[in-house]
Amino acid sequence: MRKLRITLLAVLAVILGAFLQYTLPQHDVVRIVNTYQERQDLNDWTRIFWATPDNQAAELINRDVQFIQTVKKKSWLFGFIRRDAEGVMVYRNEDTGWSWPPYLKFDTASLQTEADDLRSTPEAPKWAVMTHYGWRNELLSTFPNAVAIRPIAGPDVTIIPWFNIFFFVFVIVAWLFLRAMWRQFRQRSIDPLLEKGEDAFDQVENSAERARGRIGRWLDSWRGPKKK
Amino acid sequence: MGLIRLVAFGFLVLSVMYLAISWYSRSVRREKLEESWLQDHPGDTESEARAAYIRDGMIKYESGLRKKLILLVYVIPIVAALALLFIINAY
Repeated sequence: MRKLRITLLAVLAVILGAFLQYTLPQHDVVRIVNTYQERQDLNDWTRIFWATPDNQAAELINRDVQFIQTVKKKSWLFGFIRRDAEGVMVYRNEDTGWSWPPYLKFDTASLQTEADDLRSTPEAPKWAVMTHYGWRNELLSTFPNAVAIRPIAGPDVTIIPWFNIFFFVFVIVAWLFLRAMWRQFRQRSIDPLLEKGEDAFDQVENSAERARGRIGRWLDSWRGPKKK
Repeated sequence: MGLIRLVAFGFLVLSVMYLAISWYSRSVRREKLEESWLQDHPGDTESEARAAYIRDGMIKYESGLRKKLILLVYVIPIVAALALLFIINAY
């Protein structure tokens, strides 16, 4: 039972962690190589890895999507530990619109222009910080969605994830608040009810005992005196 | 359409939050009133005067600033969303 509990909790934690890792913004140090636009079929379950910018897009089974091809500085641990190695990364560039995840991004065309403007060669690299969410998976053909791009002087830049810091502080505060609310609710609304219930239960039990006593005495009166 | 859905769901969620926080705030205030009465009148938990004291305190709470501050539950997310909209799209 204990093992089952731990397993279930671990599975829940992994799902929640993956969800947050997919949804929260992350920053990559990149050099933009090229941008392109490609027709994408959106008719199977991998649809969930593409945005739904507006109502029309929800009904279409294929549409054009813009992409940004980059060379990326590799890193460990969600970008906290920088590595010397470089790899390639392709981002999609889609509006999230008013739907999930709530980035309220509508500036896809402008972002594509900014990306085009920052294109550079390995000989004269122009580095930039790419803010994005989502996963690159080559088997499922999923791409992280670019949210913002900011030119930087060199690839050795310190990035402080302000939004994520704020987000997790908010989650902790909200959780503490919810716990305080639940305690107050239990103490003020549930416990008094339970006490009342217990009182009522006691009364029923007492009267039942009294009744049993009466009936028992009446029965005893027929049995005659108890034999010792 | 997406905006309408966002506003509708957002209003629903924020309203649930508003009601829950209102209940919590009211409950905490009542508890404080009960405790302050008990400190001045040890042992008294039933009297008429106590009920009147708590009733007066709650009436004061209903017209106080703290209750109005709970409306920030609606204001803060809307301001945050507008700020996000601006930051994401203007930069």
